[in-house]
Amino acid sequence: MTNDTPNRILGLLLVLPALAVIVLLFVVPLASSVVGAFRVNGGFGFGNFIKSYELYTSDIIFTVVIVSLSTLLIGIFSIAIGGYLVLGENPRAVAILRWLYRWPLFIPFIVVGQVLRTFLAKNGLMNNILIEVGLITPLQATSFLDWRGIVIAFVWKQTPFVALLVSGAMAALDRSTIEAARNLGASRLRILIEIVVPQVATTLMVGLVLSFVTMMSVLSVPLMINAQSPTMITADIAFRINAYGDYGVANALGLISLVASGCVGWFYLRQTLRERA
Amino acid sequence: MRTFLHASLALGLSAMPAAAAELTVMTAGDQNMVDYINEYLGPLFEEQNPGHKVRAVGTGPGDAGSQKIVERFDAQAQAKSETWDTDVAVVHEKFVGPLVENSYLDAYRDRISSGKLVTRSNADMALGTNVKGYVMPMFNSQTALAYNPALLPNPPKSYEELAAWVKENPKQFGYNGIKGGASGVSFVMGWIYAFGEGDANKLMNGPFEEAETQKWSAAFDKLAEFTTNATLTPGNAGTLDLLSRGEIAIGPVWVDMFYSWQASGQLPPEFKLVLPAPGMPGQPMHYVIPEKAPNKELAEKFVELATSPKVQAEGIVKRFNWYPGIDAQHVQAELDEETWNKLFTDVTPEDLASYGKPFPITPFNNAILEAYERHVTN
Repeated sequence: MTNDTPNRILGLLLVLPALAVIVLLFVVPLASSVVGAFRVNGGFGFGNFIKSYELYTSDIIFTVVIVSLSTLLIGIFSIAIGGYLVLGENPRAVAILRWLYRWPLFIPFIVVGQVLRTFLAKNGLMNNILIEVGLITPLQATSFLDWRGIVIAFVWKQTPFVALLVSGAMAALDRSTIEAARNLGASRLRILIEIVVPQVATTLMVGLVLSFVTMMSVLSVPLMINAQSPTMITADIAFRINAYGDYGVANALGLISLVASGCVGWFYLRQTLRERA
Repeated sequence: MRTFLHASLALGLSAMPAAAAELTVMTAGDQNMVDYINEYLGPLFEEQNPGHKVRAVGTGPGDAGSQKIVERFDAQAQAKSETWDTDVAVVHEKFVGPLVENSYLDAYRDRISSGKLVTRSNADMALGTNVKGYVMPMFNSQTALAYNPALLPNPPKSYEELAAWVKENPKQFGYNGIKGGASGVSFVMGWIYAFGEGDANKLMNGPFEEAETQKWSAAFDKLAEFTTNATLTPGNAGTLDLLSRGEIAIGPVWVDMFYSWQASGQLPPEFKLVLPAPGMPGQPMHYVIPEKAPNKELAEKFVELATSPKVQAEGIVKRFNWYPGIDAQHVQAELDEETWNKLFTDVTPEDLASYGKPFPITPFNNAILEAYERHVTN
């Protein structure tokens, strides 16, 4: 007992720097941003939210739809990649895929934006190739630098991340279930959907939730590919601050995207809690 | 350990130069502004004032860059700092008014010799605020419509003609909205000058009246319809980019950017500019000196050099194709005819005088931007 008290104090002291960093760099700014969202002309009220609603409803819906659609596509592609890595029968193709799919992981979002801006433009590389091959005529070429460009950028950048998690989980599965299904004559697609995916569902979910939250916060891609209407909330937040110096509405928009991320975050927490129980 | 700390502290203190000052120049704007000071103006100043050093700090492009300078000054004023960290700042016109109203700035213009070379009204009034004495314009820039004569031999000469032309030729006009740089903002302001039911002069000169903001509905409805027939480009450079690739035939651009792109071969030499009636806005960028600048005397010398006819001719007109900050006739004498004519071929000095407008005063400016968001993008 006599020895315990100094130890406890020492323990607290050791934790203190980390705690201080979290409080000062994370909790305080977050709290001040939340409070700032409700501050109107010196008092408190919902003015900033009303203005956000009046000016940016379509952008808010656009953001949620774009990010959800991207998340869905990321899920499908990462299952396909992970599935082929586990169930693929051509060792050479599997090796090539394993080597290739991680590349976008190491490319920053701003570079993705820049690359796709030249790739997807009306006279960009993609359309030039399609025209060269004879698939489309120059008149049919359209620019993909709108919502489609954003979705393509997100899916391209985030799929490897989720695929990395998912394929790891798939590789760790007990192969006997797969072998049993195969012995009973199940096709590979059926094995993937009915045997493999249900067993890695938690990992998949976690990967998708993390991707969702990451995509909600990306500013560079919408700014570079499509800062027009409708655009993502992040571009509006930047515009509110840069053009008007208006932190109130910017904070309100931030809180709205926080709520959207919070919803999926809650899902993530519930999942991990259930796992631990 | 402690002796080491003390020693390094003492070393650090003694290493600080006593006589030679470091002049900190904070500049908003693109990288070219920082380069201009680092590569041209700074070395020139250091050559004339041996021992002193110029340090340029870029705060980022567009209004955001100026906003950062304002916030920096706000913070130092609130902290009641005796000396601030900035000797000279370069800010957009929109931010000069608030800086003067908060008495952050020094009235230095009458103390420097180049002060009397400026008579243009935008050096006295900045979007409705009297700033006479506090600012020296670094340069004036102007927006105009750039067009591709191969696709569009007879460009529209007014907003009215443009609106009609775009209806017949959908997607051939491109602009960058209001979130991708000031050339799009400028186009929208010009639209309201042209089609708003209120008095455009009141928007430019003030005073601000709430009632005036109710007179734009029809103009914005028209603009919303117009925008469905326009191509939206990603940024100031994006418009020039699409023009150069023939994806659009015409679009609003900054005149200086247009000439710089042409000079570097990014735009074909046959492309041209037109300044449509009743006019499009342009704006100066201003040199300001904070009241609590650490090296005020040097700062004044620096601005004096930067606004001298020679530097305005060499640096501003010749290097960047900007319109000079001080009155043009003082600069013309320092330039060869070719350079001078290049700047005024498409947009004549007469065009500039009648169709070169200022931006609206700040409250109207913000009201128009917000009305655009309300009507056109939501």
